[in-house]
Amino acid sequence: MIERFRACLAAAAIAAFVPAAVPAATDEIPRLTFAQLVDSIRADSEVTQTIKSYSGKEVAIQGFIIPAGPPDLSFLMLSRVSALGNYCCEMPVGQDETVYVFTAKEVNITYDPLRIFKIVGVFEAGMRTDATYGPSLFRVRNARVEEAFGAKIFKVGEVPAAAAKP
Amino acid sequence: MTILAIALKYLRGRFVASTLTALSIALGVSLIVASLILARGIKEGFLVGATDYNLLVGAKGSPTQLVLGVVFRMDLATPNIEYTTYQGLQNDPRVETAVPIGIGDAFQGFRYVATNSAYFAPFAWRHKMYSLSAGRFFADDPPDAPTYEAVLGAEAARATGLGVGDRFYEGEEMAEYPLTAVGILRPTHGADDRAIFFSLASYWGMNEVARKLTVKPLTAVLVRPKRMSDLGSLHRELNVAAETQAVLPSGVLLTIFNMMAVAEDVLTMILAIVGIIVLLYVFVSLYSATLERRREIATMRALGARRATVLGIVLIESCALAAVGGVGGLLGGHAVAYFAGALLAKGGLVANPFFLDPLEAAVLASVILLGTLAGLLPAVLAYRTEVAENLAPLS
Repeated sequence: MIERFRACLAAAAIAAFVPAAVPAATDEIPRLTFAQLVDSIRADSEVTQTIKSYSGKEVAIQGFIIPAGPPDLSFLMLSRVSALGNYCCEMPVGQDETVYVFTAKEVNITYDPLRIFKIVGVFEAGMRTDATYGPSLFRVRNARVEEAFGAKIFKVGEVPAAAAKP
Repeated sequence: MTILAIALKYLRGRFVASTLTALSIALGVSLIVASLILARGIKEGFLVGATDYNLLVGAKGSPTQLVLGVVFRMDLATPNIEYTTYQGLQNDPRVETAVPIGIGDAFQGFRYVATNSAYFAPFAWRHKMYSLSAGRFFADDPPDAPTYEAVLGAEAARATGLGVGDRFYEGEEMAEYPLTAVGILRPTHGADDRAIFFSLASYWGMNEVARKLTVKPLTAVLVRPKRMSDLGSLHRELNVAAETQAVLPSGVLLTIFNMMAVAEDVLTMILAIVGIIVLLYVFVSLYSATLERRREIATMRALGARRATVLGIVLIESCALAAVGGVGGLLGGHAVAYFAGALLAKGGLVANPFFLDPLEAAVLASVILLGTLAGLLPAVLAYRTEVAENLAPLS
């Protein structure tokens, strides 16, 4: 009787936890860091095959939002350094540490120039010129924007331990 | 006679009370619908009226004042910057286009905006396009030979009655420098509809102080960089300079939206309280009506009406009151939004009163459902009315 109860309990535990664990493993989205993006840049605005291998795949990137496009945030830039703090310790960064973000639908966030946000969308690497927003090395399309509470922004040279390999 | 006909007859029998109940529902719903339309309209107005340019450079001060004053013309203009700031930006290799802006006085409340032809240029990256319904654009005249030609925004032309060829000025001191309307813009559904544009040379020529200055004044410069990634460095450089500030217009608008969101949350709480008050009013109205006609209900029951029929009559009454009030509220809400939208338009924002928010259907459905539920307790009271008790002689 006790054994049957144990068997039932084990079966219930497997039924409860396995379905939750399997999607968690398959749904994991690789996170790219600005350190990885900068490291990937080669001469003549070329990028490494490693970073290009993420193209067309969904990735997550964290950084500061620069609302460079319209106020509906259908386009925005993600930067390692906030552009809006006049007294920030770091100078604003250029193209190598900026990602063009094209959002999927209406972005509903509380914008704060000094807050870190997480962008999840389809990644594109390599120089391309957009008719409206000009040239860029890295882009994320069909993106979702959410606040990244307690996120760490990796500086150039830091080891991106959290970054997953493709 | 169907229970619907009986319920409507009861409502007609208490015409004043029924009308007041429906009116209170309509007023509550109008308030909710008008708030929805206007809140969305104000945001849409800011989105439609936003500039295509990515950076706005002006004098040190409030970024919000700079954007509201220069882009939406809703605030006082910030102090002047020097024309050399514009020249420096024009020659900066990171800048694709720089457009100088001078905000002046007004003619019959329509702001004077001095600029050059780049303001109206159809660059490939622009969403906003300008075209004329009549006449032509003013010329980019040299500073020493102002033409005093003006292009009127659609609303400015309509409200002032000015047409192409008309000469106008406001204030005696301006009589020497009348402007001549040479063109009228098609509606842009933004602040430009309420502006009067002319050249920088005319702007400086009309102003006694500016005429004497060797370095001419400007209010702001709109900037489009070649690469968006240069925005950060341009922004920082112009902000650390002693005379200028640079702002991202979208950043300022998003900050305004953040503040509006707080106000919307407060408004939502107020509207929820209004909704509860209206529901209570419906409940009290139907409850007292049911108490008043217990004898009638008992008579109906004695004549063979079932308990369920009595329950249905009261529920139909409350449903009908809620439906009439709800529909009236939707219409009233749009009417309120129409008049409030006209007031907003004077401030440079355009809210569409005929915009149908998908939430309106939800509001109407909720009103009918909650209104019907408010009638549930009186309906149960009617359902439980005892025939013998209530048909006893009144004495």
